[in-house]
Amino acid sequence: MLLKIAWRNIWRSRLRSLVVMGAIVIGAWAVLFLAGFQGGFVEGYVRNAIENQVSHLQVHHPGFREEKKIDFLIEGIDAKVAQLLENKTIKSATARTIVNGMLSSSKGARGVFINGVNPNTEPTVTKVHETIIDGDFLNQNKRNPILVSKKTAEKLKLKVRSKVVLTFQDKDNEILAGSFRVIGIFETSNAKFDEVNAYVVKKDVDRLLGFENQGHELAMLLNEPDSLLAAQEVISALLPDLKTETYQEISPDVRLFESQIQSSAYIILVIFMLALIFGIINTMLMAVLERTRELGMLMAVGMNKVKVYTMVVLETIMLGVIAAPLGIILAYLTINYFNKKGIDLSAYSEGMKEFGMAEMVYTTIAPSMYWQLGVAVFVTAVLASLYPAYKAISLRPVEAIRAI
Amino acid sequence: MKIIEIQNIKKTYNPDTVPVRALRGVDLEISKGEFTAIVGPSGSGKTTLLNIIGGLDKPDTGTVNINGTDVIKLSDNEMINFRRENIGFVFQSYNLIPVLTAKENVEFVMLLQNRDSKERESRSKSMLEAVGLSDKLDKRPAELSGGQQQRVAVARALAGTPAFVLADEPTANLDSESTANLLDIMAQLNDEEGMTFIFSTHDQRVIDRARRVVTLVDGNIESDVRK
Ligand SMILES: Nc1ncnc2c1ncn2[C@@H]1O[C@H](COP(=O)(O)OP(=O)(O)OP(=O)(O)O)[C@@H](O)[C@H]1O
Ligand SMILES: [Mg+2]
Repeated sequence: MLLKIAWRNIWRSRLRSLVVMGAIVIGAWAVLFLAGFQGGFVEGYVRNAIENQVSHLQVHHPGFREEKKIDFLIEGIDAKVAQLLENKTIKSATARTIVNGMLSSSKGARGVFINGVNPNTEPTVTKVHETIIDGDFLNQNKRNPILVSKKTAEKLKLKVRSKVVLTFQDKDNEILAGSFRVIGIFETSNAKFDEVNAYVVKKDVDRLLGFENQGHELAMLLNEPDSLLAAQEVISALLPDLKTETYQEISPDVRLFESQIQSSAYIILVIFMLALIFGIINTMLMAVLERTRELGMLMAVGMNKVKVYTMVVLETIMLGVIAAPLGIILAYLTINYFNKKGIDLSAYSEGMKEFGMAEMVYTTIAPSMYWQLGVAVFVTAVLASLYPAYKAISLRPVEAIRAI
Repeated sequence: MKIIEIQNIKKTYNPDTVPVRALRGVDLEISKGEFTAIVGPSGSGKTTLLNIIGGLDKPDTGTVNINGTDVIKLSDNEMINFRRENIGFVFQSYNLIPVLTAKENVEFVMLLQNRDSKERESRSKSMLEAVGLSDKLDKRPAELSGGQQQRVAVARALAGTPAFVLADEPTANLDSESTANLLDIMAQLNDEEGMTFIFSTHDQRVIDRARRVVTLVDGNIESDVRK
């Protein structure tokens, strides 16, 4: 009977019930969609970082990453690439020589990391070749080609085919110089990265440095990104004298970014929940006050406080039982839609590029979040009805009905 | 058999601000089977007295014994349960739960009393029949006239098998035909089932039907006449 009364009471004032249900639907949807957006945002950032720069795993001389000394070398690097590729967990691998140098044109000079890469295997590991906006990717047949970023090109007034000079020190601190020709201009979504990187063919820079079958870095992608830590162990065992690190170790900012996004999402979540709570307290309080006389009569004829309380809370529970799943379904549909279509942030991406963010966000969420956040919104709604229910039982029947 | 015994009750509203001495020392005894009207000018304390008899309010001083229980000692929740088991109420208005049908409204008190569904079913039907509404079982209050609603309230009050029924101006919102009709039903239930009724009224025609008339003036009982 309580259920029956509560259920019918809901339909007594349709508009008010619709307001409460609307608040719950929107609350559940917003909270889930926000989580999905956040998930997509972080995933996009991590994917970008992996694809453009860090790959899944990198191998260096143990001291190299701390102090980029030119003689922290990996010896026999070609054989090591071949050895890595034999391992089934590894999808692709490439070797690099990295030196800190100066890139100069007639208009000026800039300090850059000169990445000597293998034009054939580099594209299997990173997507630098897809970020070329003018000219072509590196090519073994050309003499001393170089890829510079759009930013560097602008600063140094470079175009495709412009000539530049690279200067750097070899391991005996001798200054070396080589003349290179711009073959292409690249632009990734990470402006900071672009500013300090240039690409040349590994063989060209090796020749200048006198390297033979040597280099500084091995980078690889895995077949199963989830088995990151297992793969790290395998490779550490395979190359015991070198240091194998995951992208999380190499780019701790990925982690930091993830937690920052998470905490801002929590703040928005709390704001939504508070709005929901106040909306529901308000409407349910109105529903209770409107029925003062009726509630007084119910208590006068012997309905005890527990029952009156239950009845009021039941009304919100019922609204929540209808509305929360609707919100979840709505969220599921929109998250799936934008998971395929993506949300275009290019209008804002000038600012975002500074942080290495993708222009498209593909919403994504762990399936368990649907019921977890759905339940959280439902529970919030029910908690919000406790106060109006408490108000209902604090009415004194004599005052509620002026005449018996 | 006395079912209500009250002695020297006093009640003052707003004792700290603008004190209103609503009852100034009232003694009253009511026996089983009586059909009593509480009358008196507006503001004389009728409602206050009925609220105290009904366990909806407590006096400042005095003793209130209802159906053998000293109700002043009861807590709020005990009071609610006491009312549920012992007292039938008919209010002037807002008597019924608007979202329930006439029959469901009558069943409601029995449900609070945890009676089984068979008994609820048969008793709610027979009570509504007793008040002449067997054709309105499934109507909601909004679909009934004021007089019909009051009759449903009487049926509901009786359904809980109370010791007595309290009604504060039950006919105040009714036309004369409905008033006569409601009084007929109450008198009949008093005759046939021996149900005790205590009601307040301003209406001379209602006063004429009472078998005992208690007149209140300024919070004191001025006269108590049995016909
Ligand atoms: N809750 C209250 N607070 C303050 N004063 C009250 C309250 N209830 C009643 N009174 C006052 O107490 C006195 C008695 O009121 P009561 O309602 O008992 O009279 P009544 O005989 O029922 O009057 P009526 O015929 O108008 O219904 C009146 O002066 C009234 O104004
Ligand atoms: Mg009154």
